[in-house]
Amino acid sequence: MKIGKTKTVDANIPTASMADIAFLLIVFFMITTVFQVDKTVLVLPRSDVRSEVVKGSAFIVVTEGGFLKVSDGKEDTHPIDQTDVLSFAVDLMSKNPEQPIVLKVDQNVKWHTVDQILDQLGQAHAKNLQFLTDLKVKQEKFE
Amino acid sequence: MKLEKKKSSPEIPTSSMADIAFLLIVFFMLTTVISATKGIEHQLPQQDKKTIDNIEKEDSVYIKVNADNTFTVDKEPAASIDAVGMLKDYLYPKLSNNWKKPIIIYVNPEARYESMIAVLDVIKQLESQLQKEKNIPNLTITIPTQAEAETWGYQ
Repeated sequence: MKIGKTKTVDANIPTASMADIAFLLIVFFMITTVFQVDKTVLVLPRSDVRSEVVKGSAFIVVTEGGFLKVSDGKEDTHPIDQTDVLSFAVDLMSKNPEQPIVLKVDQNVKWHTVDQILDQLGQAHAKNLQFLTDLKVKQEKFE
Repeated sequence: MKLEKKKSSPEIPTSSMADIAFLLIVFFMLTTVISATKGIEHQLPQQDKKTIDNIEKEDSVYIKVNADNTFTVDKEPAASIDAVGMLKDYLYPKLSNNWKKPIIIYVNPEARYESMIAVLDVIKQLESQLQKEKNIPNLTITIPTQAEAETWGYQ
């Protein structure tokens, strides 16, 4: 007796759930994305106590050479004169009196540069400051 | 004669959905910054509160950060900024009895920013320790500017 032809099944990869997986990944990246407003490379001081910077914080960057850059948290940082911090801060506070300001300062900068900035921020009635730091790496002791 | 119409079921084309989704994934992957920026929080004093002006130097803990990478606290001898951890042992008994004691950090204009952060870091560590143990609110930490320090007679 002749048996009928065996049925051939088409080989295919199920792609129905592809879009679901893709959208899951999109949601993950959308939530974790932080648009950096400043890309200045400098050596930050190190500390143990660190809390996360609030999204949309304004930035004041001081490089080792004492050059200043600022950002209102929406646009990229742009250079500014040391005496113009006051007007920048007043402008920020008029829009949002609770606006957090992040100070990104190189570890070797002399205090008087930071002092002038703090003075102007105080005059502008700024409240919430954050000193940007890197995580302190515990040094192992070799005896 | 009656013609039979072919009925095609209505449907939204979804074959390009995955392409669009992957395009978005690539965009977000490229713009994502995984290393979150972190730092030490600090509240600036509010000028409408006059309490700051009434603080006597003797009622507070007075920490001075010097230009030569050393620091002094109250009337103790100067110590290297590398040994800033000892500040915690000195401040703990004082602040656990009275957490309202203001801490004033005067920084010499020629001192490095790193030195001030080292001192502030230790005080913030102590703050979180006290908050866990005694359930206290934030400590009163003041970093007077040069102009304020001159007015109050610190230095």
